[in-house]
Amino acid sequence: MTASLTLGPVLFNWPVDRWRDFYARIADEAPVDTVIVGEVVCFKRAPFFAEAMGEVIERLSAAGKTVWLASPILVGSERERSAMRDLVNADAGLVEANDMGALALLAGRPHAVGPTINVYNEATLGWMAERGAVAVSLPAELPAATVGVLARAGRELGVETEVQVWGRAPLAISARCYHARAHGLHKDGCQFVCGNDPDGMPVTTMDGQPFLTVNGTQTMSHGCLCLAAEMPELVAMGVSRFRLSPQAMDMVRVAEAFRAVLDGRRDGAEVAAELGGSIAAPLVNGFYHDTAGALRVA
Amino acid sequence: MRDPDVATSVSEERARRFETGLSRAGLGLVPKLGRRASDALLARLLRLLADRHPRAFEALRELQDARVLIEPVDAPVALLMRVGPELSLHALPRGADGLGEAAADAVVRGPYARLLDLLEGRIDGDALFFRRELAISGDTALILALRNTLDGEDEMDLVADAVSIAGPLARALPVLRRNAGPVLDRIEAARRLLPPPLRRGIERVEARITGALPGTLPGKLPGMGA
Amino acid sequence: MDNFELICPAGTPAALRAAVDAGADAVYLGFRDETNARNFPGLNFTRQDVADAVDYAHARRVEVYVAINTYPQAGNLGPWQKAVDDAARLKVDAVIMADPGLLAYAAKRHPDLRLHLSVQASAANVEAIRLYRDAFGVRRVVLPRVLTVPDIARLNAEIDIETEVFVFGGLCPMAEGRCSLSSYATGLSPNKQGVCSPANHVRYEQRGGALASTLGGFTINVFGEGEQAGYPTLCKGRFVAGAGSGEGPAYLFEEPTSLNAMDLLPELKAAGVRALKIEGRQRGKAYIAAVVRAYREALESFAAGRPVPHIDLQAMVEGGTQTTGAYTRAWR
Repeated sequence: MTASLTLGPVLFNWPVDRWRDFYARIADEAPVDTVIVGEVVCFKRAPFFAEAMGEVIERLSAAGKTVWLASPILVGSERERSAMRDLVNADAGLVEANDMGALALLAGRPHAVGPTINVYNEATLGWMAERGAVAVSLPAELPAATVGVLARAGRELGVETEVQVWGRAPLAISARCYHARAHGLHKDGCQFVCGNDPDGMPVTTMDGQPFLTVNGTQTMSHGCLCLAAEMPELVAMGVSRFRLSPQAMDMVRVAEAFRAVLDGRRDGAEVAAELGGSIAAPLVNGFYHDTAGALRVA
Repeated sequence: MRDPDVATSVSEERARRFETGLSRAGLGLVPKLGRRASDALLARLLRLLADRHPRAFEALRELQDARVLIEPVDAPVALLMRVGPELSLHALPRGADGLGEAAADAVVRGPYARLLDLLEGRIDGDALFFRRELAISGDTALILALRNTLDGEDEMDLVADAVSIAGPLARALPVLRRNAGPVLDRIEAARRLLPPPLRRGIERVEARITGALPGTLPGKLPGMGA
Repeated sequence: MDNFELICPAGTPAALRAAVDAGADAVYLGFRDETNARNFPGLNFTRQDVADAVDYAHARRVEVYVAINTYPQAGNLGPWQKAVDDAARLKVDAVIMADPGLLAYAAKRHPDLRLHLSVQASAANVEAIRLYRDAFGVRRVVLPRVLTVPDIARLNAEIDIETEVFVFGGLCPMAEGRCSLSSYATGLSPNKQGVCSPANHVRYEQRGGALASTLGGFTINVFGEGEQAGYPTLCKGRFVAGAGSGEGPAYLFEEPTSLNAMDLLPELKAAGVRALKIEGRQRGKAYIAAVVRAYREALESFAAGRPVPHIDLQAMVEGGTQTTGAYTRAWR
């Protein structure tokens, strides 16, 4: 399997024009192989993107990108459930399941498994492969040793394994909207306040230390996960897909940098150093090095 | 915030207060025995506890080697408990030179009565942290391990256990417990009636009942009411 | 219609006996290792403890469930598979699991072992629940704390396995089993090690009259003088939201509050719920006895058609406040 770059879905609530323009530029300029689109965090946001979805998919496909559709992370209510069913039945391409419900509906046909489904060991990976998974994006909190075992098992099973190498790490999902809560609002009358924070809302400790990022019902890391320096090791383990998670920054530049590392044209550590200055957050890689995710291990 | 089961009837509460005072004073005497004698006494107490609570003591021995300083702010003595394979207990004069604290991986500090609750597994694991009566510093996990282990015992009665290695008191304790309420009642009634200078005298009397005379060994405590 | 089953926690043999004696229908517990999601120091059961627990409970017609609900470590499945084998050998009444790979192992190796789906699997919709039923023969699902009572009613109308819901105790505001907050701060997570905000990364720091609690070096809360303190569970901390918003620190994710759904018994019954679960394997035996007794009393009144007594559990709840959590829409 040749190594490839994936652009994960935009997790933040961007205005639809910005969202459309973002993907237009990705289509034209970003050296990524697969682009995953879809609103995975909050079903209330989905209607805004629905109008532009067809156009975005078309544009990306025309540019030679493989387009996958992402299913929502949390599916509890009837509305969320019917949105999930519609997506799976849309037949618009490969679906990345982000909840076990979507995984259930995709049985027997090729599909991808997203990073918010718990794949922690080879037994679970094998079970998913039997049911039709062709690619599995591993949870952010997995350490190198686990990634290694899963990548090896994946190769034997014919399942590609993917690791997120750029962007804030998704840490939790809730039925409660913390963006609304922070603004004294209820989720049902949220006024879409999450739209004010294109890179998420910073959360700091009472001592003023930056800590987390709130993105509606999702909680993410403050630190920006960066495994550029670890890419050669990941490739050697057999990881074949590398995910970049969009932030409100020049993602084309990020994609170019990671492409250069993947092609052996640039040194990963050097790329990390360069990209570190382009986002207002420290770069972190602690999860991979089996320590606190908020840490950076040299 | 004590657990509801612990906050039982008023008379039990008073009896508890009485024996808390009694054991606190007894503890105060331990270092006066000299290091070797006090270590021997505490080693004997540990052996007895291990016999009565084998599961808890096996669990304490299975912990990683570490030291917990249990420091009652209202008693002259602190206890340094070593958990792990080398399970042991030492009494130290409190706050003398900070040696105990330096040697400890964790310190739990608070009123003697609350610490006794903790050691007898009477404080709920979460409640331990809500209350501000106990101050925890150092390795929080160690304190939690200690609490969880001790809570796993059906009934711990450290006062009775401690007293049972202290000679005549073993026979005196049940009587003391029965009589604690009335004795304290009388003292409190007297306290209310007396002018302040005499109240201090009463406090000394109370100290003699719930505590002991300086220089008296626990084994030789006067068998009050017995 | 059948009565609710009352499912109660035990972190120690003493707590198990307390729960059985106080009126539990079943007690759930974990082995003393990383195979269960309450892998706290000094807690949980050796194999012999479980054997004794089963004897004690079965003699009183109470069931024992074993939670093996962390996600087995890649390349090291042995301890989890052995936990399943031992649970079956010790004749426990059900095992509570979350990992598909481990469920597959249990279903294949021990076809007679009753399987429950742990809340850590976070199966929140009909399709997901049916998947666990069809693939592994799961007989009961513990629902994640993200659903409202109407959500639960709709769900029960479409599935044919039992549902169990949390009614009392600590409340995760996040979908369980899908949360890496703890490992972001400490490297240790509920899914991998069975711990959340682990005590070995907790420090208390006196700052004059104030008390700060930290986790992995991050300040989770600062309590003013006289203010009730708390354990620094990450999602129950006070934080400042928004850069330069001028807002003060607030309980951004969840207040230090406890779930208590006792007032919702009629609604939960109407929604088709089979079993009610009390959280708190880390809690003391006295706490467990009091809560179980209160719920047993409430369930008996309810089953007899009498009004559910208003039982005061205020003293038991974290921070002294109670909530019906996600069961009512206002929580969101």
